[in-house]
Amino acid sequence: MDIILAAVGDAFAWQALLAIVVGTWAGIIIGGLPGLGSVVGLTIFLPFTFGMSTITSMALLIGVYCGSVYGGSITAILINTPGTPQSAATTFDGYPMTQQGRVDEALGWATFASFFGGVLSCVILIFCAPQLAKFAVNFGSIEVFALICLAMMCIVGVSKGSVMKGLVCGMIGFFLSMVGSDPITGADRFTFGSYTLSSGLTLIPVVVGAFALSEIFVRFSSRDDPGAKIPEARLRLPKLGEWFKRWIELVRGSLIGSFIGALPGTGAAAAAFISYATAQKMSPRRDRLGQGEPDGIIASESSNNAVTGSSFIPTLALGIPGDVVTAMMMGAMVIHGITPGVRLMVDQAQTVYSLFVVLIIVNVAMLILSKPSIGLFRYLFRLHQGYVMAAIVMFSFIGAATVRGNPLDLVVAAVTGILAYALRRADYPLAPLVIGMVLGPELESSLRRGLLIKRGDFFELLTHSGISMALFSLLALLIVWTVWSSIAQWRAAARNQPSYD
Amino acid sequence: MKAIHHALALMIIAGASHTVHAQETLEIIVPFAAGGATDIVARSFEPVFSEQLGVTSVVRNLAGASATVGTTEVAKREGNPNIIGYAPAGSLSIQPSLKDLAYGPDSFTYICRTTSNPMFLMVSRSSDIEDFDQLVAASQEQPLLYGSSGPGTLPHLAAAALVVESDLDASHISYSGSGPAMNALAGNEIQFMADTETILENYDLRPLAVFAAQRIEGYEDVPTINELGLPEMEFSVWQGVIAPKGITEERKAQYSDACKATLESDRFKSFAENAKAGIAYLGPDEFESFVKERFEANKQVLHDAGLID
Repeated sequence: MDIILAAVGDAFAWQALLAIVVGTWAGIIIGGLPGLGSVVGLTIFLPFTFGMSTITSMALLIGVYCGSVYGGSITAILINTPGTPQSAATTFDGYPMTQQGRVDEALGWATFASFFGGVLSCVILIFCAPQLAKFAVNFGSIEVFALICLAMMCIVGVSKGSVMKGLVCGMIGFFLSMVGSDPITGADRFTFGSYTLSSGLTLIPVVVGAFALSEIFVRFSSRDDPGAKIPEARLRLPKLGEWFKRWIELVRGSLIGSFIGALPGTGAAAAAFISYATAQKMSPRRDRLGQGEPDGIIASESSNNAVTGSSFIPTLALGIPGDVVTAMMMGAMVIHGITPGVRLMVDQAQTVYSLFVVLIIVNVAMLILSKPSIGLFRYLFRLHQGYVMAAIVMFSFIGAATVRGNPLDLVVAAVTGILAYALRRADYPLAPLVIGMVLGPELESSLRRGLLIKRGDFFELLTHSGISMALFSLLALLIVWTVWSSIAQWRAAARNQPSYD
Repeated sequence: MKAIHHALALMIIAGASHTVHAQETLEIIVPFAAGGATDIVARSFEPVFSEQLGVTSVVRNLAGASATVGTTEVAKREGNPNIIGYAPAGSLSIQPSLKDLAYGPDSFTYICRTTSNPMFLMVSRSSDIEDFDQLVAASQEQPLLYGSSGPGTLPHLAAAALVVESDLDASHISYSGSGPAMNALAGNEIQFMADTETILENYDLRPLAVFAAQRIEGYEDVPTINELGLPEMEFSVWQGVIAPKGITEERKAQYSDACKATLESDRFKSFAENAKAGIAYLGPDEFESFVKERFEANKQVLHDAGLID
């Protein structure tokens, strides 16, 4: 008990609170700017933490992390350009709502869902970390492969109009993710002898090109007045009654995010897509999904923010970083003399408890700071659209260049932008491209690892374990259901057609 | 129009100030993403090092392709006295044999080796394998799998060399880093792995042997590979400072003196203790011959394991 009180005291020290406010605020702004995401934000703030105490530096970094995951949704909703890849799924319903003049409501749902997901995952982290960590350990390559296959089904749902076009874009994304070194053998693929290509294409430049740049091309080539203003946005949090109606969606999204976050190597972008795919099958309002339905925003935002809390599960319980971001946190801990690992919870209990408290305060701070942050974006977007777009192009390129300092990434962003513009003009949906790019590498490497483990036997892959069998059966069911319902739709449409014989 | 004039003037000033800046600043290339294990060592090394040299320095992370992108950048700047690289073992002594790179062991001015940590052969503590003989016996019942943090990394090479030289029957699966590989080890997807003391201490692991010439302090009951009746094998994860070719002897001496002083500083020492980075200084000449010797040895392992022709 003394330890807990001391831990709470550490977390409420003024330095820590100041760090939380500064970090969360900066995180929201950085996340909101396309191209600058969680990793860039943490890279900017990491050097500042060297002179701080452990809890203060953790508070700053956690603030930046959680804030940036939330901040990505603001630009996703306002201008159809996700500030971070984690919020790509928020554009599916967020932007249509803006077009319908429901921007305040969309921002409110995104904010509330982010807060809810963040807090629920903290609770799960505090109470179920050891159990979930144990379960995640049994979630091997084959189970991950089954899970990613399920997530891939989401491509069907987001391909409005033509599944074939969606699959084409998904394949393009998958192909782009294959450029570079083979994950298993290390051999070069699709590099055409160019040395710069052998490091592969990374997600940020592709997302920046596909969403931010293509959106700008579309805006400037459309017949509308290029000086048109971006809608004035205010935050309107959902009322208690409204969120009560959708509590199942909130809880489901948060649980999916919490679970995915606990698995090493998946991350918030994948969680958002998986959660969105689930909502497409399970939401009572699934027919309206993709046309401006709050359930879509909830699915995406509650799950990506739930990852922030639960990604600490493998880090704290096993010392295994769940993603790049937690790997950076582990690095910061090492600098302060804390070695993450199996004994961390025992040896450093006070620090771990403070970390829990900090996580919860950060989420509350995020809720409070959301209003002024959106106000700031409203103020910025009041400028002539041309200036806003120019700034977005600039930030997009800065973001693309800072990820790993490779000039090739600027070319990648520009080329993807042009390609994405052409695809949009031909009515191809872009979301599958990003889904392919996000999930492709993990799909490929988990399948190939699974086949290595089973020595090339596909059938054994399917019957590997109870979890994998359940997941593969679910996948088969989903495929049958999707095909069945599209045949039924097609028949109904054919019946309603007047016959001319 | 006025706005454009102002903007142009500003850009020229910005451009010019950059040139001045570039002359006085030392650029330290870290071929890994910010926040990674090597980056943290490099960033703790940098402030003390530049203080010793009396210059300002900037760390530039240039990640990708198993650290070869950043290492290439250093090799390309022949004759530039204001750039150095903080390079890991893999990009200097393994990757040039695996890939067609723009550099080789002769492309650098070697400054110093900073740290070196021996590698251990380890299994999960939940497994009932207690020593190397049991591991071999288990592998003959059913072939085993070993993991690594990526194809062509030191964990891959060390285990591959062991499989070639012993009766161990095992094949390789690569993961996207040590973390995911540890998850797989804990879930028994893979059965053993070679990695450093940091990994060994942080996770629930049991060391079976050490890839070093002598037993390691603190692990006196862990036998060396040689003691197991196998040929001597030395694998360690090391890092060092490199500069482009064609810099003056004077500059080289300045760098290596600063490096030595950094490694002896209390600030870096206390960091190294926390991060479990074993300080292992080698001067310019010893470091150069060390890299070349490791390059040849690793090439032989790659060849024996069938990874290169």
